[in-house]
Amino acid sequence: MNALVNKPPAQPQRSGEPRTELTVPEPALTEAPDSGLASSEFAEIYSQHSRAIYYLALRFLSDPAKAEDATHDVFLKAFRKMDQFRGESSWRTWLYRIAINHCRNLQQAWHDRHMFTNADDAVWENAAARTDSPLRVLETKELGQRIQKALDGLPAEYRLLLLLVADEQLSYDQVGALTEQSSDAVRGKLHRARKAFAVLFEKTA
Amino acid sequence: MKRQTKLTSQEQQLHQSAAQQQLQQTAACEFATAEEMLRHDALHTPVPPAIAHRLKQSIGPMPAPPRPWWRRLFE
Repeated sequence: MNALVNKPPAQPQRSGEPRTELTVPEPALTEAPDSGLASSEFAEIYSQHSRAIYYLALRFLSDPAKAEDATHDVFLKAFRKMDQFRGESSWRTWLYRIAINHCRNLQQAWHDRHMFTNADDAVWENAAARTDSPLRVLETKELGQRIQKALDGLPAEYRLLLLLVADEQLSYDQVGALTEQSSDAVRGKLHRARKAFAVLFEKTA
Repeated sequence: MKRQTKLTSQEQQLHQSAAQQQLQQTAACEFATAEEMLRHDALHTPVPPAIAHRLKQSIGPMPAPPRPWWRRLFE
């Protein structure tokens, strides 16, 4: 098996933040063991990154059917363009870039195209939610729905930022590269995104 | 016999209480940040198996992906 797949590039650790393992064993393509895909290097890539890509698509697009289509299309695109992967970034980052472009193309609505405004910022800043307090949930059963509602209320930029930063395999630099801004800008916006999310999440209770 | 019944009843209460407490502990969660909550959510969001199946069908007729030039260089 290829060394690159077995030993993904070391991921920089975000300073000051405890690291926990994000990745869990992901479903392998085992439906047809004799298929070309099941035994290929590409299947390894799918196995390692499909959860992250699907989750990003799901929460960004807010539609399971669209997320399923998008994940399929992203990996198909990746398969076709594997020769263009230069190894300068990790597979995860490369796939995220394809996924972000794909999801953005799907999101043609006006409000999804617009960036955050200062007026919107004021709404979050004046909101009552305390972002230094932990987010408590009594029932995790409907947590996904509540998270989706809160994310849907966020500007697309904040939504994407939170979803990318939540992936501990990505450094702030990598998140910045994916969202075309500096890591300092990521940190600054992340603070506001967290606050906005907390405000919206409280409202979903 | 009566004592036995009483003990059993107490044990049942204890078991019920412990089970309820455990249920509450697993149901209630606290997340320091939004990202932590999203990580938890991501871990509990399975990838639909249909995607792999569809991919297999889409990729099946296609030739194997060309290897990146920089990897062909080292082979």
